[in-house]
Amino acid sequence: MAQPAPTGGSDRTLTMARAGREAVIAEMRKNPNIFVIGEDVAKLGGVFGTTVGMAEEFGAQRVIDTPISETGFIGIATGAAMAGMRPIIEIAFVDFIGVCFNQIFNFAAKTHYMSGGQFKMPLTMMIGYGGGYNDAAQHSQSLIGTLAHVPGIRIVTPADARDAKGLMHTCLRDDNLTIWMVHKRIWGLGWLGLPLKTALSVVPEEEYTIPFGQARIWREGKDVTLVGYGITTHHNLAAADKLAAEGISAEVLDLRSIVPLDRDAIMKSVSKTGRLVVVDEDYMNCGVTAEVLAVVAERNPKALQAPAVRIANPDVPIPFSRPMEDFALPDADKVVAAAKQTLKAS
Amino acid sequence: MTDITVPQDLWDSEDEGVILTWVYQTGATVAKGALLAELMVEKAQLELVAPASGKLTILAPPDTIVRKGTVIGRID
Repeated sequence: MAQPAPTGGSDRTLTMARAGREAVIAEMRKNPNIFVIGEDVAKLGGVFGTTVGMAEEFGAQRVIDTPISETGFIGIATGAAMAGMRPIIEIAFVDFIGVCFNQIFNFAAKTHYMSGGQFKMPLTMMIGYGGGYNDAAQHSQSLIGTLAHVPGIRIVTPADARDAKGLMHTCLRDDNLTIWMVHKRIWGLGWLGLPLKTALSVVPEEEYTIPFGQARIWREGKDVTLVGYGITTHHNLAAADKLAAEGISAEVLDLRSIVPLDRDAIMKSVSKTGRLVVVDEDYMNCGVTAEVLAVVAERNPKALQAPAVRIANPDVPIPFSRPMEDFALPDADKVVAAAKQTLKAS
Repeated sequence: MTDITVPQDLWDSEDEGVILTWVYQTGATVAKGALLAELMVEKAQLELVAPASGKLTILAPPDTIVRKGTVIGRID
């Protein structure tokens, strides 16, 4: 067995890609029942480099390349999970998950329930999502709202390397279907340019977990709450900097876990600030932004001192053209304008 | 003192590369063989490991264009 690389003992600043991979390798070293299956995971090391080196270390029995056959290999993984294995599936682009919805929605997500708990489903999917780099309508979607709609799936989506590692450990130790999703533009993929600085973080050498359903406050504030996850957390941090320069104190809340959702954290922050902007790089209609607003509407609408504002992708296919894509996707300036709107309205 | 040089065998062509990230800050203690930096050449992401153990000094920050043989740091 290969030994972990030496470090020297100083703090390491890692990309999300490397941090997530570190968690997968650590769990695979401990548990021989974990295996990885998907397109290009073995020989290539993953379309995004998520499984580099794993085939060499763990062999062809545990790192398995498949044809383009999502329904087939998700079916294999679902059956293996029922039989006591702990599969990891990679789907590089969430855009193509539609071809295997039947396996995910009707089998992986439901077998534990429909068998009266006789079968567990310790299956983890790692998935890339998101746009903002001119990859057009079929490679730029998030579809997190789509996945979150179906019961039986836990969905996490970290915004920095430290959370990427901790949430991956949590997913791999859970006995339910879990989806670990990372926005491509913060993952640390070299072909998308320099890694976003706020997505890099010091990652402890030791293993640690981050519970499902626990949001993270990146920045405390008192005037307005900015809710996001993944890349929109970074838009919100940049917006909070700009707002601070104008004397406006914004609180940045990162959901991290979409299912289960940390409703208490949302309500607590809104109760403090009285104003809410929800930012999501996913389609607006019936999406995460609506779910967040529903928390406030159901629990205490009087906490809002001004109408809440949602920023999400307009309900159109994401454009390929740079200026048109920029127009469609959320960014820090849109968040700043929305935050000011909530302050003017009160 | 050991120079940290972009190895001649890190990639095949004579193309330029770019430094994406450093894993440690200047002043950190690193062990020989530890991952130090990630570089990008064409569309490939490459790893550079520490040639020696000691205290790291970074000479070429992220976004610096490098060639094979370029000295990008030092270990004392």
